[in-house]
Amino acid sequence: MTSIGRPRSLLRRIVQNIDWVIVTLVAGIIALALINLNSAGTGDWSGKIQVQMRWLGLGTIAAVIVASLDYRVLHRMAYAAYLGGLGLLGLVPLIGVMRNDARRWLELGDYQFQPSELMKILLIAALARYLSDRPSKAPRKVRHLIVPFIMFLVPVALIVNQPDLSTGIICSLVALTILALTELSLKSILALMTTGVTLFMLGWAFFMHKYQRSRIDVWLNPEAYADNEGYQTIQAMIGVGNGGFFGRGVRQGTQNTLDFLPYGDTDFPFAVYAEEWGFLGAAMVLIMFAALVLWGLGLASQARDRFGALLCVGVSSLFFFHVCINVGMVLQLLPVTGITIPFFSVGGSNALAMMLGIGILLSVSRSRHQRG
Amino acid sequence: MTSLREPDDLRALRPRLQAMVLVVLLALMVLLGRLCQLQVLEGEHYVRRAERNFIDTIEAPALRGRIFDAQGRPLASNRPAYTLYVTARPRVVVETDDPGARSQTGSRVPLSDAQIDALADLVDFVDAADREQFTAAIVRRRDRDEGIYPFAVRGNLTWQEFARIQTRKDALGDWLEIRESARRFYPAGELTAFVTGYVGEITPEGLANSAGSYRPGDRVGKTGMERQWENYLRGRPGKRSRVVDVHHHPVKDPPRDALAALPPDEDPIPGQDVYLTLDLDLQRVAAEAFADKPAGALVAIEPDTGRIVAMLSVPAIDPNRWQQPIGRDQYKAWSESLLKPFIDRTVQEHYFPGSTYKVVSALAALDDPTFDPEKTITCDGYVNYGGRRFKCTHKHGPVNLEQAIVQSCNVYFYTLAIDTVLSLERMELFARRLGLGERTGIGINSEAKGRIPTEAFEAREGTYQRGVRLNSAIGQGNVTATVLQVAVLYAAIANGGRVMTPYIVDRIETPDRRLVLQNKPQVRRDLEPVLPADRDRIHAGLTGVVNNELGTAYSERLGSVVVAGKTGTAQVGALDKKNKNPKPGPIPGFDFTQDHAWFAAYAPADAPKIVVVAFVEHGGVGADAAAPIVMKVIESYLGSRSETPSRAAPAASPRRCPAGATSKRSSATAAPRPIAPSPSPAPACPATARSAPRRPSPKRQVLPDMSPRPARPRARAAPAARRRPTSRRARSTPPRRSPPRRRSCRDRPSPPVHRARPARPGGLAVTSIGRRRFIAPALLAREVLP
Repeated sequence: MTSIGRPRSLLRRIVQNIDWVIVTLVAGIIALALINLNSAGTGDWSGKIQVQMRWLGLGTIAAVIVASLDYRVLHRMAYAAYLGGLGLLGLVPLIGVMRNDARRWLELGDYQFQPSELMKILLIAALARYLSDRPSKAPRKVRHLIVPFIMFLVPVALIVNQPDLSTGIICSLVALTILALTELSLKSILALMTTGVTLFMLGWAFFMHKYQRSRIDVWLNPEAYADNEGYQTIQAMIGVGNGGFFGRGVRQGTQNTLDFLPYGDTDFPFAVYAEEWGFLGAAMVLIMFAALVLWGLGLASQARDRFGALLCVGVSSLFFFHVCINVGMVLQLLPVTGITIPFFSVGGSNALAMMLGIGILLSVSRSRHQRG
Repeated sequence: MTSLREPDDLRALRPRLQAMVLVVLLALMVLLGRLCQLQVLEGEHYVRRAERNFIDTIEAPALRGRIFDAQGRPLASNRPAYTLYVTARPRVVVETDDPGARSQTGSRVPLSDAQIDALADLVDFVDAADREQFTAAIVRRRDRDEGIYPFAVRGNLTWQEFARIQTRKDALGDWLEIRESARRFYPAGELTAFVTGYVGEITPEGLANSAGSYRPGDRVGKTGMERQWENYLRGRPGKRSRVVDVHHHPVKDPPRDALAALPPDEDPIPGQDVYLTLDLDLQRVAAEAFADKPAGALVAIEPDTGRIVAMLSVPAIDPNRWQQPIGRDQYKAWSESLLKPFIDRTVQEHYFPGSTYKVVSALAALDDPTFDPEKTITCDGYVNYGGRRFKCTHKHGPVNLEQAIVQSCNVYFYTLAIDTVLSLERMELFARRLGLGERTGIGINSEAKGRIPTEAFEAREGTYQRGVRLNSAIGQGNVTATVLQVAVLYAAIANGGRVMTPYIVDRIETPDRRLVLQNKPQVRRDLEPVLPADRDRIHAGLTGVVNNELGTAYSERLGSVVVAGKTGTAQVGALDKKNKNPKPGPIPGFDFTQDHAWFAAYAPADAPKIVVVAFVEHGGVGADAAAPIVMKVIESYLGSRSETPSRAAPAASPRRCPAGATSKRSSATAAPRPIAPSPSPAPACPATARSAPRRPSPKRQVLPDMSPRPARPRARAAPAARRRPTSRRARSTPPRRSPPRRRSCRDRPSPPVHRARPARPGGLAVTSIGRRRFIAPALLAREVLP
């Protein structure tokens, strides 16, 4: 254990060991995201965007704290935090705030908070601890995974029940990625995938809401629903295409500024961005996100221990799935879901959770060369 | 904690981490590839689609051309109005509950019945059916794809409607819009109802046939000039574009690219103005003369040119009424009215011409070389033929041809028919030569042809009896004609045998007064070579009708001018007589047992300037009912021009009898009152006239004295219109173009000819239209514009 308790050396060590790649990438992404959020909004810096910046500020403080801590503190706290998160999730149906037919929020004074967003990070930490505490040289079988499955299925069930299918999907994907890394045999992965597909088919047939099912129809043939369910998809594509190579310029996109593109600040900010910044800007942001994810994976391979590696993989995959699914949806490669794009979409809890993840990456990065 | 310090374990993770890196790179490639496809490769497509979103192109309606009378007084003009537009499938604003959020829009939601009802409550409907129609139009629209565009659901809003809708507009929603437009206004109202016609909303069939040149809700000419000259009057709508947002609101400060993408505005090209030959003053005089007559018609034309100066049919419906919705009850009342207010009695309906037809019989008789017009026939008040008794008005005693016309003796013509001087064939020949039995070619209001019986026709109809010939000779039986046809017939009698094509459009001009089209008098058929030479007897007879003490219209003669004319009292069909006032509530002055009254006249008798034909339906005796009307019109027409000295008056020149009849003529025209039966036998006259070669006709020299009146002081008449033909050459079509055709066409109905005239000084390609039934395509109207 290194000397965390010595405050004098704290600042020095942070500056010395800070991972400037991550900081630069995240700062750049956040800057672009804020400009875009402003553009997608009314054009002034009030309202939603102020709330978002307040949450980002909070997230930055949290990230600095996490980064300055040794991530092994997380190892100690992981289960407790996980149970706390479950507790908050359990509170949501009881005292949560109802909005748009969903109960996802807890209210704290002026702030509304989504425990499901925090749960993403807590789930990563808990799974990482469980899997790093029981390393095994032999390939694990499916039966070894009963506990980790329960660990992620319980919160996912609570989240899906809110209902918030997209967060549930993200949690599942992240958990499965972590599991796939820890030497699941290829056979097990195949078995899992088969189970997943079967479950999806069953869910499709019996459990999915009608609106969720029709989303697939709309995705495959949006023009047939151009005036209704397919409207967003089509307008988003028009927005992206209208951007061309160089883009229309900030607040010059017609799809955005003339309100043809709905949900430009939540589900479709990337379409706004692509219209106003063009292929150049959009490719740049995608590459920045990819660099962040790849850097995170690189950190995983250099981590001091298995726990750190799993944390990095968890956080990286969290970013990866968010960006990939959201952008895929905007570009009509995937059906429309409510999965947001980090920092570009408004959402305080999400911003806070993402900043926590960045803090974890920084923390792992800081200690990667300090073996022993 | 031991597990945290096992670097070997970490190394084992590497292959899978590398696989993950591959997955991430692959995903990046896919996303970048798709981005490249959408933005770079297919970018143009989406740029166009984005433009379709924000560019709103409004049709800028073209102001409809106006219609003027000969003095430039408006008969149809435009007034500002408001039109209500409805978007039946508007985008619906989805409010989010975040206070700082912009409202979002998503689906298009068709209007609800409640919304349509709320709008309908603001509109004044004439009856329930009107409201139903209004609602149905919106309902129909909301079920279609075009429902996303605003459409004109009601035009010509009243001020009350406009105010009501305007105040409720914001509360009702974005789907309502009121745009400025123009409505048609007819200053003369029903006075010119059948001439101007009216405009109304285009029918679905008309829309389907228009090949996209009209839009739903457009107003098009339905009858009269409005219909005939639709393509000239309508102009071409322009286009204006603006940037709108998703709510279809214009954007004040649009993005620069959006402004650059707007297509250039096209200014509308206003419709062209139609100038008629009609004289509104004369029309008014005619209408006033008809004041106590419930139904009838009057046509006044210039015999030398065929210009129609008055054309009236009563009763008529004020065309302004069609600019507002008409209640079902009102429409029913009109369509069931015995007075048939929808029918243009000048051209659409044909009647027995009665005794006015006797001029045709007389001409036919004169054509028979064995016929002696001086031979008298004694009228005993009736004649028996084929077991039937054919009656006359009273015993006329001995009459010759001239007196038979003067006194309108039926027995004289019956006898000629019995003697087979008047065969059906001969009468038909002359009737057709004089333009009966075929359309005059004025081209408005679906002209009727009328009927001229032949034996074949009678046989087909099963009505052929020997007596038919007798009835035909006095304009009964199966002979029918329109009022306009009778006017053209008398114009031909008056002008010496030229059957003119009557026309009512003098010229068409662009709003900036450039000439588009100038109508010229057109001789439809020149009968001079085929008419009997001593037809001057007929002229003498017609003059006698008004000026001889025995004449049927002697009591109606005018002091100021010598009028020649013919009365007619057409017996109504047996069916009509049986049908004695079939409906309750008889119309005063409209008795179904009464005969139709006719009077056809021209004046001054020696140099006719005007032909007036009046027809009073069930008016009784022609002389009593119709003649006063004609006299008033003639008096007004010639009176208003009396200040200009008539050069034609002293020229007592051989006008109607081209050759060999000068001596006879002089007795008739030089001393018209009283008329003595011409004693001169002149037996060779008809024969010589017919057998004479085409002579260089004294008419050539005489006509300049005869026909040109001093130019009337009409300020607005175009020089070309005022120019009178100074010779026969000038009167007909340009000889340069088709000299042989002119001759060959003379005796036969000429086919519709559409000739392009050489360019006028203004550089305009002027088009004259043969029979004026031809409606030029819209392109033609455009071609003459720069």
